[in-house]
Amino acid sequence: MSFTNALQLLISGIAVGAIYTLTAKGLFIAHLATHRLNFGQGDFLMVGAYLSLGLLLAGVPAPLVLLAVLAAMAILGWGLERVAIRPLDRAGDQTGGYAWVLTTAGCALILQNVVELVWGKSAQYAPPIFSATRNNVVRIGEVGIFVEELAIILVAFLAVTAFYVFLFRTRWGKAIYAVAFNPEAAALLGVNVKGTVILVFVLASMLAGISGFLVGPLVSVQPHMGLVFTIKAFAVASIGGFSNPLGLLAGGLLFGIAEAYSNYFDSAFGDLYPLIAVLILLAFRPTGLFGTRAADVR
Amino acid sequence: MKRARSLALAAAIAAFCTSALAQETVKVGVVQGLSGPPAITDFGESYLQGLKLALKDHLAKSPKTKIELVVYDDEANPQRAVSVVQRLVQNDRVPVVVGTVSSGNVLAFAPILQRAGIPLVAGPSIATPITTQFIDQKPSYIFRCSMVEKFQIEAILDWGVKTFKKIGLVHSTTGYGSVTAKEVEAGLKARGRELVATEAAAPGVNDLTPQMIKMRDAGAELVLNFHESFELVYRPMARLDYRPVIAGNWGLSSLKVEQIVGREAIEGTVMGQALDLADPKAKAFDDRMRKEYGSDYRWPVLAALGYDTGQVVFAAVEKVGKSDPKAIRDALEAIDGIAAISATPAKPFSPTDHECLDKEHVFLGVWKGGQVVRLKY
Repeated sequence: MSFTNALQLLISGIAVGAIYTLTAKGLFIAHLATHRLNFGQGDFLMVGAYLSLGLLLAGVPAPLVLLAVLAAMAILGWGLERVAIRPLDRAGDQTGGYAWVLTTAGCALILQNVVELVWGKSAQYAPPIFSATRNNVVRIGEVGIFVEELAIILVAFLAVTAFYVFLFRTRWGKAIYAVAFNPEAAALLGVNVKGTVILVFVLASMLAGISGFLVGPLVSVQPHMGLVFTIKAFAVASIGGFSNPLGLLAGGLLFGIAEAYSNYFDSAFGDLYPLIAVLILLAFRPTGLFGTRAADVR
Repeated sequence: MKRARSLALAAAIAAFCTSALAQETVKVGVVQGLSGPPAITDFGESYLQGLKLALKDHLAKSPKTKIELVVYDDEANPQRAVSVVQRLVQNDRVPVVVGTVSSGNVLAFAPILQRAGIPLVAGPSIATPITTQFIDQKPSYIFRCSMVEKFQIEAILDWGVKTFKKIGLVHSTTGYGSVTAKEVEAGLKARGRELVATEAAAPGVNDLTPQMIKMRDAGAELVLNFHESFELVYRPMARLDYRPVIAGNWGLSSLKVEQIVGREAIEGTVMGQALDLADPKAKAFDDRMRKEYGSDYRWPVLAALGYDTGQVVFAAVEKVGKSDPKAIRDALEAIDGIAAISATPAKPFSPTDHECLDKEHVFLGVWKGGQVVRLKY
């Protein structure tokens, strides 16, 4: 393999990995505070992609589209917490502890069907965000990279930094950790537990919105695209360890790059090898590369 | 006197019944892929649009026999396809069935219909064995009005080896993709040539950059595209600065694919075709479909084949005049004088040929200025 090809694969791997990182980030933050996951995280991304696609095609300027998508996704995240998470907590142990798997996956199915009703079943591409044509390629030496890919890589790094600061340097971040440690004790100490839980679901949903906005022009947008993203985000979160924002970034990039290279060497089973690698990794390090057992404090 | 009156009453009832029989409504069963993977629904919806327009035109001619479509969605799922076909046979008691997109689904339910003695006009599925595996049975109840994979590949390879030195193949890892890859390899071997690169991709992938790097490095001037997500091979071309000619499945002629990859990128793409829009009859049909379905209409060749299927089936039902599967089968085989929109001949079927389209009717189309026209070479 030539050096140019290796570099080209590396860059397209990083771009794909950045998408996985952003999706995994949504899983991570909800899991951190509540030990619940949104099994429809990928479908939230799909909704974000469709909303941006619809608004961009209607001629709304891109920054406004992003704001509108973020607002809509925040409401959706709030709704998910109200409909699929909170009622189960109220029911307590009667639900068996894992009923949220069904409720969040159920919400995802509802979203898929609503989107299918509104936009139809065929695949679509969102129009490019930063230019008039689809061939907006930046050349670094002989390696080509789409402007949207650069944007998504940038956003993934920014999001990781922002999360890091947010979790470890702000009161809100401390509140999330307090709720994760012991909700009752946190409530006694004056932390708004309900508010914190809503916050993490809103944040997770907004992250999916950003990813959806950015991936629209890069992939075929269709109502059933979410599942693949959810599964790969799970893989990424398990590589990185569910408790570490930096680990997620490393996990996402590793997974994306591994996929690009394994598709180059054996395209027939290209998607299989990274997943097998994750399985083997988990057999030896169940907490992932960056997770620690102690992080699971409850 | 009383007896005479009751006799008259009975006669009247009998007369009423016979006239009611003459007015019998014949149900035509339709199975199509109307939900599920986007590529499948694109096929299913377009074919059904043509079929419905054909029914509208048929009823406008005030036929003796009324026809009603009973439409079921098989969701591109073989189990569901089999169960809706059983429902069509047992509950709806249809004397003829049309459908569906996925060849695997058709191969799953065709034996049921053959055993039940109910004619099937398959479409828009394209796998080669759908009709060939039944044609030796006397009689075969399985017909087809659609593209045939073998003819499409033959046409592409004939042109490909004449025009290009280096040919590569990108296919999906699904049953469809793997079988097609074998047909392409065998076809090229028969022509004394070999592929310079063969790459596969899973059905759900988003990026074919690695595969296209291989194509570029192998120097492929023509890339055969037999992946169900037709648009994927186009995406990495701009970044790799590599612009081979793309040729493949007739699915590449959907307006939807053009919308997705852009007019500029799809220009010059070649695919199997059975409708020539330069033909005034086809053009008139295209305009009518546009008027009828607006922006929902996106695929001329599929709609045209759906329309022709409708013409053939409805003419056979009209000839028989009642819900008699055996008679409808015979009528289908003997039907003549069809003014088809697609390349389907006036007499599509014979006892040894159950395909609307034969090798000589399949030609190559090419995207030119936002339209698929006949490729001249």
